[in-house]
Amino acid sequence: MFKLSEDGLKYVKSELTRYETKQSAIIRCLYRAQDENGGWVSPEVIQHLSEVMEIPAAQIEEVATFYTMFNKQKVGRYHVQVCCTLTCGMLGGRELTDAMMKEAGCKKTGETSADGLFTFSKVECLGSCDTAPMLQINRDPYIESLSTEKAVQLVRDLRAKAKGH
Amino acid sequence: MLKCTLNGREVEVKEGTTIIEAFYQNKIDIAHYCWHPGLSIAGVCRLCMVEIEGNPRLQIACNTVVTEGMKVNNQSAKVKEAVKWGLDFHLINHPLDCPICDQAGECGLQDQYMKYGQYDSEMAEAKQKKHKVVDLGPRVVLDSERCILCSRCVRFTDEVSKTNELGIFNRGDRAEIGTFNGKPLANKYSINTVDICPVGALTSKDFRFRQRVWFLKDAETVCTGCSTGCNVKVYYNREGLFRVKPVYNSEVNGHWMCDEGRDVYKFVNKESRLLDARVVSGVKSEHMTAFEAAKRVGEKLKGAGKTVGLVLTGSYTVEEYEAILSYFKTEVGTDRVFHWINNPESFEGFDGLLLRGDRNPNTRGLVQAMQKHGLTAQWKELTEALSTGSIQTLVVAGPENQVWFPDFKVKVAELSKATRLIWMTSGKSSALDELKGEVTLIPMKSYIEKSGTFVNHTGRAQTIRPVTSIVKGALSLTEVVTAFRGEALQGSEVVPGRSENEVGRGRIHNEFTLSRGTW
Amino acid sequence: MAESKYLTEHYGKPEYCTLDGYKKLGGYQVLEKALKMQPQQIIDEVKASGLRGRGGAGFATGVKWGFLPNNGEPRYLLCNADESEPGTFKDRLMMERAPHQLIEGMIISAFAIKAKKAYIYIRGEYTGPAAILEKAIAEAKAAGYLGKNILGSGFDLDLDLYIGAGAYICGEETGMISSLEGLKGQPKLKPPFPAVQGYLRKPTIVNNVETLAAVTYIIRDGAAGYRKYGTEKSAGTKLFSISGNVNKPGTYEVPLGYKLMDLINIECGGMKPGRKLKAVVPGGSSAPVITAEECERATLDYECLAQMGTMLGSGAIIVIDDSNCMVDVLSTITHFYHHESCGQCTPCREGTGWMEKIVHGIVHGEGKPGDIDLLLKIADQMKGRTICALSDAAALPVLSFVTKFRDEFEYFIREKKSKVRGGQIYAQMHA
Repeated sequence: MFKLSEDGLKYVKSELTRYETKQSAIIRCLYRAQDENGGWVSPEVIQHLSEVMEIPAAQIEEVATFYTMFNKQKVGRYHVQVCCTLTCGMLGGRELTDAMMKEAGCKKTGETSADGLFTFSKVECLGSCDTAPMLQINRDPYIESLSTEKAVQLVRDLRAKAKGH
Repeated sequence: MLKCTLNGREVEVKEGTTIIEAFYQNKIDIAHYCWHPGLSIAGVCRLCMVEIEGNPRLQIACNTVVTEGMKVNNQSAKVKEAVKWGLDFHLINHPLDCPICDQAGECGLQDQYMKYGQYDSEMAEAKQKKHKVVDLGPRVVLDSERCILCSRCVRFTDEVSKTNELGIFNRGDRAEIGTFNGKPLANKYSINTVDICPVGALTSKDFRFRQRVWFLKDAETVCTGCSTGCNVKVYYNREGLFRVKPVYNSEVNGHWMCDEGRDVYKFVNKESRLLDARVVSGVKSEHMTAFEAAKRVGEKLKGAGKTVGLVLTGSYTVEEYEAILSYFKTEVGTDRVFHWINNPESFEGFDGLLLRGDRNPNTRGLVQAMQKHGLTAQWKELTEALSTGSIQTLVVAGPENQVWFPDFKVKVAELSKATRLIWMTSGKSSALDELKGEVTLIPMKSYIEKSGTFVNHTGRAQTIRPVTSIVKGALSLTEVVTAFRGEALQGSEVVPGRSENEVGRGRIHNEFTLSRGTW
Repeated sequence: MAESKYLTEHYGKPEYCTLDGYKKLGGYQVLEKALKMQPQQIIDEVKASGLRGRGGAGFATGVKWGFLPNNGEPRYLLCNADESEPGTFKDRLMMERAPHQLIEGMIISAFAIKAKKAYIYIRGEYTGPAAILEKAIAEAKAAGYLGKNILGSGFDLDLDLYIGAGAYICGEETGMISSLEGLKGQPKLKPPFPAVQGYLRKPTIVNNVETLAAVTYIIRDGAAGYRKYGTEKSAGTKLFSISGNVNKPGTYEVPLGYKLMDLINIECGGMKPGRKLKAVVPGGSSAPVITAEECERATLDYECLAQMGTMLGSGAIIVIDDSNCMVDVLSTITHFYHHESCGQCTPCREGTGWMEKIVHGIVHGEGKPGDIDLLLKIADQMKGRTICALSDAAALPVLSFVTKFRDEFEYFIREKKSKVRGGQIYAQMHA
């Protein structure tokens, strides 16, 4: 069963009173719980938050499934989200994703590579069209102005980095 | 009051009335799925489009308040085109499984299609796949592909039952209603979600696959499940009753009823009923008609005085109480009448919405009748009288819903101490069948088979009428009194069937989409 | 005319994003002036400036503020930093380079509309800008620009940041309010409008980042000073996000009324070598596309683009050259709206998916002869039928792409391959 860490619990408690209503804390608390649960929001996460926040689980589930940044399935250590909308689409975002997936060993978007490192998503406009194509890993700063070569190298670098640790 | 024009007809409405309410109040058809008078306005089905003079954009009638002089039209070509497309948008991902869908015959999509559609769908692409046959809870099944996401059921659990089990998860055309992680939709009002579902997405486990709705007749009556007295409609055929749905009454139940009230029909159907009278005397047991049995009892009751006691439950009508109490007081000559309260500890309970602890439709009527006749005997006097033998003959009427009398078996044992026991009830029971000694069992009519008045917990008198006949020869208490006197019955009260008008209404409209009670 | 660095004057200076640097460059001086004015004077000045909402709808800001009822209820100021219209990235630049510029604009605006509580709603993916804003808000609080009795004026303002989690629809003001309330970001029925019943059913004003930042400049220079830029009906400067097939994509601030082709050719260094302009989406993905020929006549102001049947929108200009297949470009747009439809209103929920399936089919060589007309019919019936404008936003690009580049769609359906790119198979959105 998932349980927030002590710090996580403190965080949730303080967020509950941060906004006018406690419901407004759901998004931030889901982020926190997702981080503590290895990058995804499992039913246990929602059940736990529902109890801690005293908000019906169905309401939290509605929020968790409405917004794309909550993963309802397990993801790899690097959740690579490549923008494929309009400008990024025109400038190769989709092809670039496919090349990265091939390098990482993922057959489909949403599927995690066998080494547990990579999950790819083709996502909608991330608001960085002047540096297209671009991507975001987890919730980290954007990686911009990519080419297929650079993107494939990124996968190799990340793999090397992960092995180094 | 404000004046406005609906489809060229000038009408008056109260200030604050929405256009859709104005259409309903004036009995003018208007298409819609998500609007329901008992719920908040969602404005999402976009079907109740109207053209308002002076406004180039079509507006939704459910969220637009009538203003003085407003000219509204929902029959223009522009509106019809929008409604036709509105329907098509609803249908493109909807499975065409009407032949196996329980909603068929009372489905909002079918009804609209017959009115505005009747064309070939232009959708050639693959439909969105969603969850089928989801076991939502003890009473409700969900087919997500049929769901049109009107959100009525979700609003119901948020706003009416306030149990918050349902949600709409995911977004866009991937959105699906459901409960969190398979948690059951188990509130005491869950079948209302089935009623208000305009399509076959939510179906009742109890009713699904049992009967095509167009083979059922319906009639309005009052729920006998508790002292609230919800106004209901029963659906039946020659075999008996199949389901119960609420009928709108702002003074009693609003738009809703509880799930337990839906089960009342089960006590009415033949398989639960006492089918003929039985007179047991020692080892001898004789079957006969209810009338004959009652007549024989009457011969012995007349003038028997205070050795006779009468036990009444709150299941009978005002008229029946009057008949039997007058008879016992004046012709039997006893004032030893006792009110059997089934669950004294929870009798005053109330769940905050509709369901009351008093699981009788007419406790108030019984209490009033006893007061009128100056009958004040307490139950403990009966207990004493039975042990001392000062009451030898005991006549018991009820209960009609044995399952809600948790003390039923205990009471049967207690009351059977009487030398002679006459038990009148519509329901069969092994406890009664096993009684030994001098026992007469008389089958009674259920509330579906008789007329009369129930007084609910607020003192509101509500009339019931005979709907259908289920047990031939069963009697009402009034008829029992006639038989006691040895007089002939004045024909049958039961008028089976219903008017053509009623038949038509149920069949053409889905009342929960298009009309409900006065809506 | 050339680029006019007005709001962006100091964007090149890294210190501008710190409180000290911002103050050294004149920051928070306008606030001191504003707090000595009457709130109504500020509203009047904003009205007189002709400032129109920079988020997309272009509604007059002063007029919007005027809708607030005087019923004594608490009111809220909500800054729309969701920036989710495809092609738009100027607010991100503003928040990264000048967080205090936004905060100062918000304090002045909140003072004008008498709001004691303000929120910045920032999209969840913008974790970098969010961190910058959090820091700047803390700095401003510590310096007494936020909190109780700001600069001794008696005015209190609490400002907090709210983070989204990935939903285009939260850029719609009532979707944003739902999200801020901790719900799904589904737009609310109107009426009531947010100015009357918004966040928690209290009067709420929602303004874009750029709009709020501009308020400071209107108070600093007066309405007349602000009106030195732009045209009569489209006053001031505007930040344009330009992306696509130009040599120097980026954010450029130019006065409204600036020529589109000048922006492309001068600021953005023109098209890539050997390539010709084919089309431009001038105001974010929901703005109807215009052809190269139409671009020659286009000036960047609300009126001109409206006359051409498109819109200035958020100022997101996507430049498309002749190497692009318009069917493919549209397929990313239809995919986007299908993905982002919140799902409440049936025409949008079902229509966006239907249109995507049809366009997707064409791109994959499965197009059918009736597809074009069907697309046009669906799109037409999605317009003006729903609670919010997402349905229209999804319909307009379909209508314009299919109408203006019909030959490419017909070719694709007939030949099962792209007129522009031939037999090249496209990577799919759904892998």
